[in-house]
Amino acid sequence: MKPEHVDMVQWDMVRNQIDSDFGAGVTKRILGSLTPVSLPRGKGISFYLVPPNWLQILDRDFKPFTPLSLGIWLGDLVEGKFRLSLPVLERVQEFTSNLLIVSRQGAESFTYGRSILKESVNKIDPSLLRGQKVFILNESNECLGLAALSVDAYKINRLAKDRLVAKNLVDIGWYIRRLS
Amino acid sequence: MERRHWCLNPRANGSDRILIGKEQRKRAKELAKQYGYLPYMIERYVVLWGEQEAIQFLKACERPIKKSIRLNTLRATVEETLSRLKAKGVRLKKVPWLETGYIADFRRISPGSLLEHMRGFYYVQGVPSMTVAEALSPQPDSLVVDMAAAPGGKTTHMAQMMNNSGVVVSIEQDRLRTASLESNIHRCGVTSSIVLRGDSRKLDQLGIAPDYILLDAPCSGEGLIALDPSRKRSKSMADIRFCATKQDALLDVAISSLAPGGTLVYSTCSIAPEENEFVIDDLLKRRPEMKIVPINIEFGIPAYPNPYGVELHESLTLARRFLPHKHDLEGFFICRIEKEESS
Ligand SMILES: C[S@@+](CC[C@H](N)C(=O)[O-])C[C@H]1O[C@@H](n2cnc3c(N)ncnc32)[C@H](O)[C@@H]1O
Repeated sequence: MKPEHVDMVQWDMVRNQIDSDFGAGVTKRILGSLTPVSLPRGKGISFYLVPPNWLQILDRDFKPFTPLSLGIWLGDLVEGKFRLSLPVLERVQEFTSNLLIVSRQGAESFTYGRSILKESVNKIDPSLLRGQKVFILNESNECLGLAALSVDAYKINRLAKDRLVAKNLVDIGWYIRRLS
Repeated sequence: MERRHWCLNPRANGSDRILIGKEQRKRAKELAKQYGYLPYMIERYVVLWGEQEAIQFLKACERPIKKSIRLNTLRATVEETLSRLKAKGVRLKKVPWLETGYIADFRRISPGSLLEHMRGFYYVQGVPSMTVAEALSPQPDSLVVDMAAAPGGKTTHMAQMMNNSGVVVSIEQDRLRTASLESNIHRCGVTSSIVLRGDSRKLDQLGIAPDYILLDAPCSGEGLIALDPSRKRSKSMADIRFCATKQDALLDVAISSLAPGGTLVYSTCSIAPEENEFVIDDLLKRRPEMKIVPINIEFGIPAYPNPYGVELHESLTLARRFLPHKHDLEGFFICRIEKEESS
């Protein structure tokens, strides 16, 4: 197993999903001058971004070692679905307006893996729709993770305070939970 | 004259033995009982340091070690992290010889629970561990190999020192530990690493010639007794020899792979001369193209050129040790070695 240049069909799926979730051209902007490469992982394929001058190092048989990750981990494609990686969220967040700002308590419980309830919502763009992926930010605009809206944003005000607004997809507490 | 017993064999090949007197042995046995250690350990301490210093060591290992953190400049400036942590009531004191190392009193807060930790603004790491990467001091844009990388304290530190330029190849054999390695790399914003799972004793098969190699070797952990009191009874002399054999093999392949003129730092979290001075002394005999060089930062004390009374290469005094009873830190050994340009 070694890092490979990306398969164009798979890469198109990745790009389409990122751009449709977060805005046209976002993939190109995160990519900048980096080159995407892929590694098989479990049932899926992981994508990484590396500087072009790494291709020389990568162009070898890594035997008897197994490469696990390299450069910037972009995310994983599993059964046709692409999931952005946690470390790349902050980079994507810069280029999108899919943002949900949450209260202090909401921020804390989100980093324990919980979802966002109405009572934690401080601010959201009312044009965002149910099913859309939104970045969860704390009151200081720090990115805490990604969630999927479970209701159209303009309807949030009508909800009771304990109703689910956005389902946790990934949060930065994962780094710590993964260690334990 | 006091009767003396052959007691220990610090070298795997049996060429040297150390002597312990009957009285010393009796005293060691008493101390072992008093402090809960296996007697062979105390016998070695008594021969290595004398009884008084051995007792100081035993007492120091009963004291807790202060928490310390390394501020990660890949994620935030030193000033920003300091001010955020201070605002949360964390008391911080800079470690004089480290760029980004601080003794940290988190009081009632768990250091892993803060947002700043999740965001990778700091890494909870022992002061000796931080000193290791600074002793290697890899230059930006170089090719570095970390031969025993998990959970990633030193990989992330080196990537930080190189500001994510160059490449850090991080190798780890243990499947579970690679998960923490990857997690720490991502959390700390490291983008210049390639993580490989496998046995570093096969590094030469990778076909690369690193400018720097860090071998933070798997060891018996005899420097961590204050953190893990079970170590007082968990390892035998045979375990220490087993580690030393592995350390020899890792060092050999490191040196074969290192670029001419390249630099290697060998470190262990063990105070055992059998895993440190003896290993390096043997290496210098096997590999004349290698020489120990000074470390350009002031810390610890010189390593021992004649542990247990066995004369070793005098340049071993250029390597450094941290000792619990002298520095109130984990016991550590750090040695910087260079490969001849023309080799
Ligand atoms: C002292 S720990 C390294 C700590 C690490 N350098 C850090 O700063 O976080 C030694 C590591 O070496 C790994 N190891 C042991 N033998 C190995 C081998 N032959 N090849 C690669 N890794 C090995 C162990 O699993 C362990 O994770």
